[in-house]
Amino acid sequence: MIELDVRDVHIHFGGIQALNGVSFSVRGPELIGLIGPNGAGKTTLTNILNGVYKPTRGEVYLNGERISGLPPYEVARRGLGRTFQVTRAFRRMTVLENMLVPAMALHPTGRRQDFVDRAMEILRFLTMDHLAYEYARSLSGGQQKLLELGRLLMLDPDLIILDEPFAGVHPKLRETIWEFITTVHRQGKAFIIISHDMETIFTLSRRLLVLNFGELIADGDPDEVKEDPAVIEAYLGKED
Amino acid sequence: MRRIDWRWILTGGALLIALSAPLLLSDYPYWLHVAIVAYFYAILASSWSLLAGYAGQFSFAHMAFMAIGAYGSGLMGKYLGTTPAVGIVASTVLAGFVGLIIGTLCLRLRGAYLALFTIAFSEVLRLTLNAELKITGGPNGLSLEPLLATTSRVPYYYLMLILLLASLGFMYWLAGSRFGLFFRSIREDEEAAAAMGVHIVRYKIAAFVITAMVAGLAGGVEAHYIGLVTPNILILGQMSIVIAMAVIGGIESLVGAAIGAILVQFSLELLREVGNWRLVAFGLLLMLTLRFARNGLIYPLIDRLVLQQAREAVIVGRAQKAKQVGEQA
Amino acid sequence: MEINFPFILRLLADGLLIGFIYALMAMGLTLIFSVLRVVSFAHGEHYMIGGYVAYYLLDTFTGLHPLLAILLAGTATFAIGAVFERIFLRPLAEEKVERPGEYAILVTFGLGFFLQYLTLALVGPHPKKTRRYFDLPTFELGPIKATAATLKLGTIPLSATRLTAAVIAVVLMLAMLYLIHRTWLGKGLRAVSQDKQAAAVVGVNPLTMSTLAFGLGTMLAGMSGAALVPTFAWVPAVGAPAAIKSYVIIVLGGMGSIPGAMLGGLIIGIVEALGTGLLPDPNRAFAYRDAYGMVIFALVLLLRPTGLFGREE
Repeated sequence: MIELDVRDVHIHFGGIQALNGVSFSVRGPELIGLIGPNGAGKTTLTNILNGVYKPTRGEVYLNGERISGLPPYEVARRGLGRTFQVTRAFRRMTVLENMLVPAMALHPTGRRQDFVDRAMEILRFLTMDHLAYEYARSLSGGQQKLLELGRLLMLDPDLIILDEPFAGVHPKLRETIWEFITTVHRQGKAFIIISHDMETIFTLSRRLLVLNFGELIADGDPDEVKEDPAVIEAYLGKED
Repeated sequence: MRRIDWRWILTGGALLIALSAPLLLSDYPYWLHVAIVAYFYAILASSWSLLAGYAGQFSFAHMAFMAIGAYGSGLMGKYLGTTPAVGIVASTVLAGFVGLIIGTLCLRLRGAYLALFTIAFSEVLRLTLNAELKITGGPNGLSLEPLLATTSRVPYYYLMLILLLASLGFMYWLAGSRFGLFFRSIREDEEAAAAMGVHIVRYKIAAFVITAMVAGLAGGVEAHYIGLVTPNILILGQMSIVIAMAVIGGIESLVGAAIGAILVQFSLELLREVGNWRLVAFGLLLMLTLRFARNGLIYPLIDRLVLQQAREAVIVGRAQKAKQVGEQA
Repeated sequence: MEINFPFILRLLADGLLIGFIYALMAMGLTLIFSVLRVVSFAHGEHYMIGGYVAYYLLDTFTGLHPLLAILLAGTATFAIGAVFERIFLRPLAEEKVERPGEYAILVTFGLGFFLQYLTLALVGPHPKKTRRYFDLPTFELGPIKATAATLKLGTIPLSATRLTAAVIAVVLMLAMLYLIHRTWLGKGLRAVSQDKQAAAVVGVNPLTMSTLAFGLGTMLAGMSGAALVPTFAWVPAVGAPAAIKSYVIIVLGGMGSIPGAMLGGLIIGIVEALGTGLLPDPNRAFAYRDAYGMVIFALVLLLRPTGLFGREE
């Protein structure tokens, strides 16, 4: 069972306190939505979780091991994977090569053919296997998004953080991504999903974290969080 | 009807010409010398393309590593009495070690900062070699013992050719291995590669160390062939020429860069009478290639002639796989 | 080794004077960077060409006023820069280039290579030198004594050529500062350097500003060269050490920061002079002259890449 502990995490850039004492824990295969107005610190929090930033105060523990301060590739090896807001496939590498990178990074030994087989399996699940030898840059935006998700699976992470997976995505693709999340979740993986798509997030997630101005203002059941006055103010108050 | 496999024909033909060159050029020993120098540049250009085109590290310190190989071996010979062979091996290792240091220092540098830092390193090395007259001979250079006991160029020709083929073979193997995969992912998107578990530090440094050693080895051998090395091998103009060769040949192709270097070197020699204008033309060609043919001039040709075959094979393979997959589903 | 104060003051004075020219050249480089986000690796060659243009103008038209020669040299390098930007860097401004950083480095490097060998082919390798532009009026005012070639402040001699160059540099820098902060053009440049799209929305054409910025940058380099031609023996390779100093300066002062470039220029001038003067062995000290700046440069890159005043890239 996966254990993530975020303890009193602070980070500031220049003069701005981007995160101010954020604490929460994840136990087991939860499906968590992370929401908040623009600039609240959601991506910053993700960057801290996966090691791009180091908190100025506070720590992050994954399965009992301190990961705050480790470089991203070490965090990835310990079972935490993430996507980026803007799709970042390896453009001048083929779809298959994209898939192989995490597998070969995590497993220094191991037959390439085994990795290829696993990659093709995932690609088939995403109905992209016919694109295996295409360069990622010739894929459509939606296909690249799916590629990123498939690539993430090759890491076999226990905790997956998705940064705006539904942003600018047409309904059919949204469905596919939804299915991806629910299927993989059923296989026992935890998710933290950042999204502005309120409808989807409220229906999809079992637990909601709300960030505002770098602080965690709500953490709990989506229906309760929806009614939380602080949350409402955070969103409506912004529209002044 | 079997399609002609151009890959084998072209490679075979090129090898045949290369191997029999001393015979063909026996009346023109000068051109044999040109070929030796051309192979030397080919090693430099292709190893630079591995560092820059594959791993995305646009370092201008490449000639510095080559110089470490050359001066290292020369100085060891002069002060420690080592034989050229020992000197070359030792200075190659030294170049790798310096590559390790530079690679580590460059870890957090990107783009222009990396370029500038490596330029600074190269220049400081050059100035030091120039300034320390008593040790290095300063601007007049350092003389080196010949590597092979021969007055003919032919053995050196074959040595350099073997070195070129060996280093190309090694780097090609590397590019096809996990190293190549990780190098390219780092060039494509370092942050995403890190998020995917690629050990950025290890592979960036590895890229520097490996290419530095290849450059150092080439430098050592060349220096013991020519018999003299001066700090002028380190002027930025020389690095520019190597870069230009790699760009014209095709930065992302080791073989393209090597062929580009050989063609450029021979062209420069053939146009010797034109004097400095040939370099002007070369510079213009470099700029135009970058602007209008970023994949280089040689590589796309190889791609079209030769890889077309491979691509067709892949399409056929894909179709078969798709059929298999369809049958399995 | 006793500290020889007058000697050190001399070095400082020399360094400071040259530092102004370095600063001017670095200002051009930093202007290019702040608008185009590109470090021009051909900056030294524009400096070199400016020098040659001034030399040949003065050589051919004997009555030509030196200041006019410098202006014309600047115009020539402006033209070269603008044309180059239009043809080779326009795709960057239009964001049609994959891996723009790489491309910019390589293509400006190519330009430098091309310009250097073009000049070499046209003028040959023999050094050119002009005589100093202005003779100082001979006078005496207390501790200040002036002859045609030297101005003496107490015991500190300042060469007329360096003094002239420094004054020209200061005037040009002030002119640039005026341009950037008090004119519509300057506003446009600053707008584009901060936010291309926002600038476009308010009616500033980022493409034109890019061309202008590059041209101005190369113009400053050319004028620096033209101002220094009486001081140094001019060869086509003279661009490289000058360029490297510019890079050192903009990294030291912070890329994109004009005050940083100015301050950095002075610092480098002083560091070089002191380094050359204080090392015991004069020959080696001189050979290492360019290295001092670079060691500082390497340290700054490693320890504080944003420089003294710079902003995050």
